[in-house]
Amino acid sequence: MADEAALRALLLKGLAGDEAAHRAFLTEAAALLRAFFRNRLRSRPEDAEDLVQETLVALHTRRDSYDPSYPLTAWMYAIARYRLIDFLRRAKKRDHASLDGIDIGEPDPDYEARDAKRDVTALLDQLPEKQRKAIQLVKLEEKSVRDAAAETGLSESDIKISIHRGLKALMRLMAEKGAT
Amino acid sequence: MKTDKLIEMLARGTTPAEKPHWKRKLAITLFVGLGVGGALVAIGLGVRPDIGAARMPVMWKTLFAAAAAMVMLPLALQLMRPGRPLGWRIGAVFVFFALCALATIIALIGEMPERRWEAWMGGAAFPWCVVLIPVIAAPTAALLVWLMRAFAPTRLAMAGAAIGALSGGVGAMAYAMYCPTDSVAFVTTWYALAIALCAALGALIVSRFLRW
Repeated sequence: MADEAALRALLLKGLAGDEAAHRAFLTEAAALLRAFFRNRLRSRPEDAEDLVQETLVALHTRRDSYDPSYPLTAWMYAIARYRLIDFLRRAKKRDHASLDGIDIGEPDPDYEARDAKRDVTALLDQLPEKQRKAIQLVKLEEKSVRDAAAETGLSESDIKISIHRGLKALMRLMAEKGAT
Repeated sequence: MKTDKLIEMLARGTTPAEKPHWKRKLAITLFVGLGVGGALVAIGLGVRPDIGAARMPVMWKTLFAAAAAMVMLPLALQLMRPGRPLGWRIGAVFVFFALCALATIIALIGEMPERRWEAWMGGAAFPWCVVLIPVIAAPTAALLVWLMRAFAPTRLAMAGAAIGALSGGVGAMAYAMYCPTDSVAFVTTWYALAIALCAALGALIVSRFLRW
C-alpha cells in the first residue's frame, strides 16, 4: 500500500492531467478507504464498499480542493470521515435502517466482493440528459471530449462541465440511494 | 458496479484540473455581499443624515467591523477545504472577543458613572444592531454558502459558524453607515454580540445548507 509521499505524487500528477497516475491514485486510495470503512462498519461490508465508491467519486470531483502544502492523507480521510458521518446521519433518518452492527461485530473473513450493493450504472440513468450523455460518451464509451462534442453538438467545455456536474450529482444520488 | 470499473470510469480522459482560484472567488463574494448589504441598509434603513459630519465615527465603526471579518477570514479559509488544521486561527477569534470585552470595560470606566448606562446601551431601549446586523449579513452568508459548496467543507457546524461570523463582520461594515450610536462601549459590546449571534445562527442553520 502506498505511503503519503507516493500517494501525494500520484494525485499531483493526476491533477496535472496524467490519467495513469490518477487511476493509480484512485486504486491506492480505494484500498486505504476500504480498510477505513470496513474497520468502522465491521458487519456491513457491502455498506463499506458503497462508501468506498461514494468517497472515490468525492475525491475525484473535489480533487481541486487539495492544497499541496498540506498532508494528502489528512485531506483524504477528512473527506472519508465526512462521507461516513453523512452515511450514518442518513441511516439514522431512515427508521428501518437499523444501526445495529455498526462498529461492532467481526469482519466477515470470506467477504471478498469489490462490488457495492447499489448499481452505479442505474444511477447514471437518473442524471439530467446532458450530463448523462456526456458521461456515457466520454467515460463509458471511451470517446474523446472532441468526438463527444461533435456528436452532441455541444462545445468541448460544455462536455467537460457536464461530466463534472454529472459526477457530482452522481455522488449525491449514491448517497441518497445508498444503503438500506 | 465493481469498484475497479468505477475507478476506470472516473480516471478515463483525465484532464488537468482547473485552478480553483479560491482566494479571488472569496474576495469577489465578500465584495458582492458587502455591496448587497450596503444596498439593504441604504434602502431599508437609510444612511444616517449626518454622515458628512460623522465621517470619523462611521469610519472607525466600519474598520472595527472589517477587523472582525479579517479575524474570521483565516478560519473560514481553512474550513472551506478538507483536513486542514485550525490552530491559531481559533485562538485569534477568542483574542478578538476578549479584546472587545476589555475595550468595553475601559471605555465604560472612562465615562462618568451616571452616563455609563447610556454609553453602553446607546441611549436606546434595545440595541437593534443585534437583530439588524444578522439580517444584513444574510445575503453574504448565502453567497458564501454557494461558494463553499463548490469546495468540500467537512466540518459543517464549524464551517457554518465561520461563514456566519465572517458575513456578520461584513454585515456590520454595511450597518455602520446607518448606525446612529457612536459610543465605543456600545460598538464593542453589541456589534461583537451581533457577530457572535451570526456565528451561532451559522452553526445551526447555515451548516444544513453546506451538505454535499
